[in-house]
Amino acid sequence: MVFQSVALMIRSKGPDEFWKKRRIFKLAAHYVGRRRNCYSIAIRNVHRALAYATTGRKLKKEDMVELWKTRISGASEEHGLPYKHLNEGLHRSSILLNKKTLADLAIWEPFSFKALTQIAWTKMREDGDADAKAIDAVPPNNVFTGSSK
Amino acid sequence: MTNLGMTECDRNAKQDALITDLKNKESSDFVVENLFLSCDLAMSTLKRVTQWQAFSRVWHLYDAKWQNPFDSAKLIIKHLQGLHKPFYHPMSDCGDMVVVTNTKDIALPGDEWKKRVYFHHTGYPGGASWTLAWELHEKDPTMIVKKAVYTGMDGNLQRRYTMQRLLLFPDDQVPDDIMENITNQIRAPRPVPKMMTEYPEDLMKSFPRVSQFPKDFVLK
Repeated sequence: MVFQSVALMIRSKGPDEFWKKRRIFKLAAHYVGRRRNCYSIAIRNVHRALAYATTGRKLKKEDMVELWKTRISGASEEHGLPYKHLNEGLHRSSILLNKKTLADLAIWEPFSFKALTQIAWTKMREDGDADAKAIDAVPPNNVFTGSSK
Repeated sequence: MTNLGMTECDRNAKQDALITDLKNKESSDFVVENLFLSCDLAMSTLKRVTQWQAFSRVWHLYDAKWQNPFDSAKLIIKHLQGLHKPFYHPMSDCGDMVVVTNTKDIALPGDEWKKRVYFHHTGYPGGASWTLAWELHEKDPTMIVKKAVYTGMDGNLQRRYTMQRLLLFPDDQVPDDIMENITNQIRAPRPVPKMMTEYPEDLMKSFPRVSQFPKDFVLK
């Protein structure tokens, strides 16, 4: 039997309680079943979701860095240069582009990216890096890195 | 060229001006501006075709002769999943087809033929079986490469579909309908040395000898 009278108000803890619960229910609105309807279950799941969201903010950035690395190494190996040599060569040439920019260049400016790989490769060879010299192919001889050699 | 912040009257006036401009002198500037405008509005034909070509499947050929199947698997996986492309994304279907030939001639490192064991369980009690690599290779010469590729990938829902893009052949007999699609060959990491039997007879005869066998020496 449902009491629709003042008796109900006894259990109500007042407007603050209502708005507090409402705030949680709004966050749980897209859940399924009792997780969205029962407060004690909803609050547990909302707390867990917020904790996941906190770690997720960091993981998202790490995931993007990993994706950029994969993309750059894919694009760099297309021109015959492993990623580590590209990275090292660009740093030695004082070309301080971040991974996001390099990945974007690899997709949308493939010729600019190719030029960057050749600069890095030439620089590594000029510096006498053994690993870079061990690669079968060589970069074209008309690439200038600005060093005296 | 933007119409933002213009009143209705301004817009009409500008439109009229453009129309009269076109009618009167067919200004080349106007045509160029409109060209850029149409590029902004829709993807140009060139860009559309570029995208089709970028996401089309490339068929790669890989000759597994005298290659380490576990090193080969890394290379094959890279091409199967599209990791070699600058626009790779794990959720976009950008992987390629890989056709592997001569899987019967793979070279396992060290004593792996004798020591490597493949486990299988039928699901029934007592259904476990352990097969040595050389036994498995005798049963099916494509199986070691297949398992190397399969176990080399992360176990996710995409793995079985990625495996469907891998075609394995024990020798170099590949059906024509597959061979006609191939446009690229993956460079094998190991050089394939020439066997003694592959040199011509006269070259072997004329090759300088360091020493001669004694006259009474019996060759096996």
